[in-house]
Parts: sequence; C-alpha cells; structure tokens
Amino acid sequence: MCRYSKLELIGGINLLKTTREKINDEVYLNIINGDKFKTELISFYFIMPLNRSEVTKNTLVPLILKRGTKQYNTSMDIERRLEELYGSDLSVSVNKKGEKHIIRFTIEGPREDFVLSNDILKNKLDVLKELIYNPLVIDNKFKEEYVSQEKRNLKDRISSRINDKKQYSTTRCIEEMCKNEPYHIYKYGYIEDLENINSQNLYKHYLDFFKKSRVEINVVSNIEKNEIKNIIKDYFPFDERESKLLKRENVIKKDIEEKTVIEEMDIKQGKLTLGYRTNIPYEDDLYTAFLVGNHILGGGPDSKLFINVREKESLAYYIYSRGYKYKSLMLISAGIEFDKYESALNIIKEQIEAMKKGEFEEKNIEQSKKAMITSMKAVEDDTYSISEFNLSKVLTDNQDIDEIIDSINKVKKEDIINSMNKISLDTVYFLKNQ
Amino acid sequence: MNNISTIKNEILKEEAFLHVLENGLKVYFVPKKGFTKKYAVFATNYGSNDNEFVPLGEDNSIVVPEGIAHFLEHKLFEEKEGNIFNEFSELGSYVNAYTNFNQTAYLFSCTDKFYENLKLLVSFVQSPYFTDENVDKEKGIIAQEIKMYDDNPSWKVYFNCLRGMYHKHPVRIDIAGTVESISNIDKETLYKCYNTFYHPSNMVLFMVGDINFEKAIDVINKNMNRGISNDIKNIERIYPNEPKEINNKYIEEKLSVSIPLFNIGFKDYDVGYDGDELIKKQITTNVLLDILFGTGTEFYKNMYEKGIINNNFGSQFTANKTYAHSIIGGESDDPKEVLNKVLEYIKKIKKQGLNEEDFKRIKNKMLGHHVMNFDSLDYIANSFIKYTFNNTSLLNYLNILEDVTFDDIIHRFDNHFNKDNCTLSVIKSK
Repeated sequence: MCRYSKLELIGGINLLKTTREKINDEVYLNIINGDKFKTELISFYFIMPLNRSEVTKNTLVPLILKRGTKQYNTSMDIERRLEELYGSDLSVSVNKKGEKHIIRFTIEGPREDFVLSNDILKNKLDVLKELIYNPLVIDNKFKEEYVSQEKRNLKDRISSRINDKKQYSTTRCIEEMCKNEPYHIYKYGYIEDLENINSQNLYKHYLDFFKKSRVEINVVSNIEKNEIKNIIKDYFPFDERESKLLKRENVIKKDIEEKTVIEEMDIKQGKLTLGYRTNIPYEDDLYTAFLVGNHILGGGPDSKLFINVREKESLAYYIYSRGYKYKSLMLISAGIEFDKYESALNIIKEQIEAMKKGEFEEKNIEQSKKAMITSMKAVEDDTYSISEFNLSKVLTDNQDIDEIIDSINKVKKEDIINSMNKISLDTVYFLKNQ
Repeated sequence: MNNISTIKNEILKEEAFLHVLENGLKVYFVPKKGFTKKYAVFATNYGSNDNEFVPLGEDNSIVVPEGIAHFLEHKLFEEKEGNIFNEFSELGSYVNAYTNFNQTAYLFSCTDKFYENLKLLVSFVQSPYFTDENVDKEKGIIAQEIKMYDDNPSWKVYFNCLRGMYHKHPVRIDIAGTVESISNIDKETLYKCYNTFYHPSNMVLFMVGDINFEKAIDVINKNMNRGISNDIKNIERIYPNEPKEINNKYIEEKLSVSIPLFNIGFKDYDVGYDGDELIKKQITTNVLLDILFGTGTEFYKNMYEKGIINNNFGSQFTANKTYAHSIIGGESDDPKEVLNKVLEYIKKIKKQGLNEEDFKRIKNKMLGHHVMNFDSLDYIANSFIKYTFNNTSLLNYLNILEDVTFDDIIHRFDNHFNKDNCTLSVIKSK
C-alpha cells in the first residue's frame, strides 16, 4: 500500500534559469528554463510610449489581429486550431506600465510530453506567428468588416469601465491626479478617436508599431535554450528597426496642492480612493523602504489600515494600499458607507501620520518583510507571473528576485520613516450615490 | 506509516495520498516537486445551502438565518487572544478563507515554516470563540461586503438567474445573506452550526507542495481538539422539495452599467447523481456546451459578427447532488434576442444533429486544460476538496473524460435543453 517513501522529495531543486539575448535593435529574447511546469508559455510584448494620439489605435490593433489571419481567415478558424492543439490559449492584452503602452500576445499550452503529441511547441508558434506577422490584409488594408466591428466593440469596452466600481475609482483617481502628465491616459483609449480610424490608416499604424516598438519576447519552457533561440529567430524575423523611443517617467511633481474630487453614481457602496505622490523613484535607495512601509500601512490583514478601519471601526470590508512602481504613486482604496466619508478619511490620514512619526514596531517590519519575500518567491510558481516579472525587471531596475529579497532584508526602521516622510497627498477621490 | 492509500494518474504524472484519522478526518497530500509555495486547505462540507438541519445532539430540525455559514467563516479568525491573522503574518504566510454553496474552506500558502503554519491552521479552525460583542462587530463589516456585491453586476445577474430557476432550493439564497438576515445571527446559533458541521468527520484537510506527509500527519494529529468526540454521526440536512419547473421565465434589474448583462439558465431536473457519475455528467454537459456555444462555433461567429454579443460570452454547467443547471452569460444590447437565437439554434441542431469532429476537438481541449490546471497549486487544492466532497477524486477526471463518448453527448443534448426549463436574467442600465 505505502509507496510513499519512494517519493520523498528534496527541497530546492529545479531552479529556473533565465537568459537574455539581444536579437535585433530593441528586440530581446528572454528564455526562462525549467522543468517544473506542464505547460509552456511564449509572450511577445510590444512596448511604446503612452501617447494620447496613438493609444486608441494601439488598442485596436490586437483586436483586429485576433479576428483573422492569412491562413486562418476567421477567429473561428483560429479557435478550432487552438482546440486541436489541446486547448492552447492564445491571448492578447493591452496595458500601461508607467508611461509605457504595452501590447501583449501570448500562447500557452501543454507540453508535448503530457499530451503525447510531437512538435506541439512549433505548432503553437505557427499560430502565434500567424497572429502577429500575417494579418488578413486586402488591398493594403485590414478587412473592412473586422475594423468596423472591433471599433464598435472597443467603444463598448471603453464605456463599460463604469461596471467595475472598484477599478473605476482607481482609474478616475489617477486621471485626476495626473491630469497634465501622460500617465492619465486611459489604457484602452477614447471613443472620440474611433471616428477617424479606418482599415487603411490602422493597417499603416500596425506596420509602424511593429517597427517602432521595443519588443521583449519571453519564453518559459523546459526545452533547451539554444533550441528555443534557433526556433524563435527562425520563426520571427525582425528588420529595419527604428531608434529608441522609450523614456523614463517623470515622477517628481513640485508644489502639490491637495484636491478633492467627488463624483456621483447610482450605487450602494461608496468608493474612497486617496492618491499620494511618493516622490521616491525606483532608482532611489529609499524605494524598497517605501515598499515595506506601504505594506505595514495597507498590505494585508495585519496592516494598520485593515486593523483600524475594518477591525476596530467596522467601516469597511476591504481597505488596502498599493504602490505604483513606474510612476511613484501610492493609492489607498476602501469601500465604505456614504456617510462614513469623513471618519474613514480621518482614520486613514491619522495612520499615515503615525507612519511618518515611526509609530510602528520592529514586529510590523519583520512581518511585512516576510510577507513580501514570500510573494516574491511565489512568482516562480506560475509561468505567467514569471513572464510579467521578467518584463518589469527589464523595463525598470534589472533586479532579479534574489536581489530584491536581499534589499528587502536590508531595510531599517529609520529608512521606512524617511520614506514615509517623503509622501504627499495629491488627490482624494470619492464615488458616492446620487 | 501503514495506513496511507494512494491514487495515481499516469498521464498527469501526479499522485495523491490519503490518511484517515481516528476521528474521521481525511488528510490528503499531492506532492509537487520544485514549487516554492506550499499550500494547505482545511475545509468542511458545509456551505450556504445547509440552512436547515438537525443540530448535533438535538431531535428536531432548525432553519438558520441566511448567510450564517459565511458569517461563521469570518468569526473563526477571532481567538480569545485576538486575531489569528497576526500569527500567520509572523510566519510570513498568507491566510484566507471562502464560503460557497457547499463548502467552507480555510487555507494558507507559505514558502517557509510549513509545519508551524499547519499547526496554526488546524488549531484556529478548531477553536471557535464567539461573544455577543464580537458577533455584533462583524455585522458592520459583512454588511459592507454585501453592499460591495450589490454593486457588482455580474454577481447580481447570476443570483437573479438562480432565483429565476429555483423556487425553494437554498442555492437561490445569497451566500453572504442580506443585511437584514445577518442582523438575526447570534452566538448561540453560530455554536450550533459549528458543533454540527465542523466535526472532523465532515471535514477534509488537503496539502500540496514539497512537503513530508508523515511529518504533516503527526502535526495534525497532535493538534486535533481532544474535546471533540470520535463518534462519527451522520448529519441530517433538510432540502425542500424543489419542483422540476422553473420559477420565473424573466427577471430584470437596473444597475449602473453601460451595456446590459444577461444570464440564460437551463434548469436540470435530472439530479441525484454523486461521485464519478456526477463528474461524468459535468464533463459531458460542458463538452456539449462547448460544441454548441464555444468560441470555435458557427453560432458564436454569427452572433459576434452581427454584433448581438461581444467577446464577453461563455457557458458553464454546474452540478451537485441536489441541483444542476447550465448558464450561458454575456453582454448584449438585446438579451431577449440572444435568448431567441439560442432557442432557435437548439431547435435547428435537434434536426441536423451534432458533429463528431467538433466532439473530438473539444475533448482534446478539455484534456489539455486539465493538464494545464495542474500547474496551479491553488487550482489543485480547491478542486481536490470539491471533488472529495462529491465522493470522487480530481485524479479520476481524465479517465472519466476518456470514457465520454459521442453517444453520451447526443443523449445529453436530447435531454438538457428545452424552452420550458429556461430563465432569462437581465441587468439593464439605469
């Protein structure tokens, strides 16, 4: 009965190995090799400056590409091919990281040894290549119907941002806060831009975007790295690159004047969001100290905000604080009764003051450090997280997981106090009932 | 240790180990090489559906306030000495809990000090501490949780659909209850629920990761609450007699949304399945739904191209011993038109028949998805618990999938959909 002893495991095996190689101007291949997953993942990130005049077109491009390719004319054909490839998942996303607009194309599916099918990696890459390289083009234009349908869908998508009130409040707070900076731009673009987009200018934009973007290719797989490198170079040629366009965000804002924005909607729960400028760029020595301070303040169920707003006063079910690395912001969010606006706001401000005065224990520091280290280590357990982490790493400070853990461990109480004294409140945003 | 049994799946290259304690607690373990996270779930076969039962040591059944299972989940985090969150934080681990229709689960994940975390988990779930004061305080917090869901259109459209399908079955009740119903919760009723449903024999403890199972069993054994008797008693749960017919054909509510949301529910009256049979029915119906409404179908393509639906469209079948239904959900300017098209289409396929090629592709896809899910410790842990409470094993899934034939799909199609067992729930914009 007991076969268990044979399976006794040894800890700390199979560490993932990452290699990075430049394969063309502004094109990099990152291979993350390891044997622990049953799946493999390939992601292409096209990265551009976040720009008001291009954001809507950037968002439309992947939506059009997903509608059909030269070989697979309709999304139905693409989907059926993916079903044959054991339900491999082909996804696209549009995101902003700081003042960078990032379009992601990913294919993820089971490894060949788990579904007993040869060449499944190459088959997956064939589909991904079709999607990115071989769109359905008629007379130097995208297919007319696809463009008009996806314009309509994008219009719906942009309007639907009111549906998720939590997310909506965060987005609105940032818009108000960064009104005069590119960071306010909504990642999915603007309805008023759609009118002037057609199948011709969008196709031209696609060609441009391909040449101008910085490209990061991430592969998480168990296949030997040289083999992957050869396949990727062979499948995905890049030529004629344009020069570097990405810039580091401006993160220091002088003369901050605190403002309050109150908006009304027909809702049952008020959403309170406080937007702070941390004034600490990620290159600064105090950056990690700020992260630890942010965690003590609102990182989890043992945080000061959770204990004082939720556990002591029963004012909220959720309350947390988050740092925005690229842009050096900190946002505190809570769902509260409409008439508890003043009391919630006061308690939050009190807790910030307490952080500035150093009213927290060594114990809080240790707990926050441990929680942050745990979540850093857990990144390596998920193919998608690994890919996203790697992207952030190469776009910011190039620190790998061990280096980050190391710098977390070095943070001292006085660093946290210093970092907390740098933050300043910029915008209070409250979504209330009508 | 001799009394460990195993179940293995060759395709996944995974296995699960089981050890049953004297008090009836089932302890499971799935080893995961090379993962840094370790994960444990301690769950009871008790959820929002169990709101009428005979309390332990009593003769007559009682009906408890809606939302009490979820309320109890919140309150277990409170100990005489304070809040348990703090102690997990000291270990650098992440603790959480959730309540659904059929189970309440407490879980942690960590990368370090697994056995200390395990000890904490086992002890806090076994030491309830309810006072009038702490019960009262929680009412404010949960009221905010309920209101958060009140503003969530996808949650509302789903629960309205359930209320449309079911007359009496408690699956129609909101898991967290209502602000009104939770105001009637007191510590005495909480203890009654706790004592009835948190007996180890009604619970499962599942662990996944790079863990020494025998050492874990030892920790669990040493920290079992000795005050609980080893007598294993059957819990008597009372479910009302649910009519076969649906309750309402159409339900509409208005919220602040930009485009209407819809759920089309097909109520399944052929219930009472358990174990592998239940899983087979689930797989069969979900394959069928994908053949009919998946993103690779002509139906989806036409509806999408006509602009009747957008890419927020999907379908899923859910089954339990006492209830089952399929739900097709999405966004549309004209949800009634979606329903008409769905019904017309079903009629058409009933004449034309299903296509075996589609079946083969979807079966491939389900195989691949199952394999992919095994990269997620969270998925393994939470699904394993669910399958165990349904008297089967997650590791049986692929064998059952393999056994599903095209005839099974045809048979299922003939029985599941008709225009009289369906409800349309719509959230319109204000």
